[in-house]
Amino acid sequence: MNAVHAEDRKFLKELNAGTSALVLLSVVDRASEPIYGYQIAKLIDAGSEDVPMMKQGALYPVLRSLEKTGLLESTVEPSVTGPPRRYYRITEEGRAALERWAAIWSENKNFVDSVLKGTHHE
Amino acid sequence: MNKAIDDYLVKLRAALAGADAATIQDAASDAEEHLTTALEQAIEDDPGLAAEAAIEKIIETYGRPEEVAAAYKEMEHMTPVALAPLDPQIVKSREHRFFGVLGDIHTYAALLYMLLSLVTGIVYFTWAVTGLSLSAGLMVLIIGIPFMAAFLLSARGIALIEGRIIEGVLGVRMPRRPVFFKRDLGWWGGFKALFGDRTTWTAILYMILQLPLGIIYFTVTTTLIVVSFGFIAVPILTYVFNFPITQTNHHSYYAPGWTMPLFVLGGVLTLIVTLHMARGLGRLHGRYAKKLLVKGEH
Repeated sequence: MNAVHAEDRKFLKELNAGTSALVLLSVVDRASEPIYGYQIAKLIDAGSEDVPMMKQGALYPVLRSLEKTGLLESTVEPSVTGPPRRYYRITEEGRAALERWAAIWSENKNFVDSVLKGTHHE
Repeated sequence: MNKAIDDYLVKLRAALAGADAATIQDAASDAEEHLTTALEQAIEDDPGLAAEAAIEKIIETYGRPEEVAAAYKEMEHMTPVALAPLDPQIVKSREHRFFGVLGDIHTYAALLYMLLSLVTGIVYFTWAVTGLSLSAGLMVLIIGIPFMAAFLLSARGIALIEGRIIEGVLGVRMPRRPVFFKRDLGWWGGFKALFGDRTTWTAILYMILQLPLGIIYFTVTTTLIVVSFGFIAVPILTYVFNFPITQTNHHSYYAPGWTMPLFVLGGVLTLIVTLHMARGLGRLHGRYAKKLLVKGEH
């Protein structure tokens, strides 16, 4: 991994603060069956190539808060070797939120793109 | 349990000192679950791997205890604001959607706009046509260009005002301040910018089209409303004022008593359909106005 500037790290952190909930909701939604944190982290790492978008440890609090607001639900199941695992699955409300958030995200993305390309204002 | 993981959990708890007890518990069990699973996975993938070396790498991608603790603390702060429980989805029945139009403020606002559009249509049309023809006519004189500049500027001003009306009445988001051209363009540069800007011309087109549209909106809306109320009033007209349904030279015709509820029902239905139409037209008009009046919306 290349050296990341301090200001880049701050920018990335702020950016992720907003998008991580959307990303996690989408990953859990895609999963055909309940999925636990480590699997989610693996899937996200696979998508973000060489630069990890966020520390894996930062995913868990987002999962917790999504559960708290009723967008995800979870069940704890014992695992063979280690501590019990918490399996997450999306709720109906979560699906509805995902749909809305995806729309907001794409609007937002278009807006940022248009500003970056300089077509928004003359 | 692995010693390194144990150490990590102790550090994580220490870093979270002062946070809600439930948060600390969550953070510790999440970390334990993740690190153990990751370690298992790593050893399964590469049996020769030393656990010490593997766990170091795993912790690096998971995040230092301070980093992870910060994420939990932040989430604790943010949850009420960013992820407040969502409104329960309101499922509307068909009947509710059909009659709901009566209680929707947008309906009456749209109705108001339909009636108002005849007035604004006349004003805009007159202004645009006069401005265009005088601009063309005066072009041979020295004042032609300044006159045209003033007219084009006024068209942009009217576009802004109409935008304010539409946002106020139809609820479509429209610009709140005029588009400024660069200051250092000078008089002639400013004119060229205004003249060359597509929005100036689409705004004038909007002003011209507003007259026919206004006539249509006004006529259709008033006719349908008058017809609805006429139907609803049939029982009163018949029994209170003894007013016939139709009349020839010598005969008055009255509708039989059993048809009275039908007249009222027909009137109410026509009224509701009219309100739906007004609301729908209002939305369409808002979108159309945005296309013509707002820069960058073409």
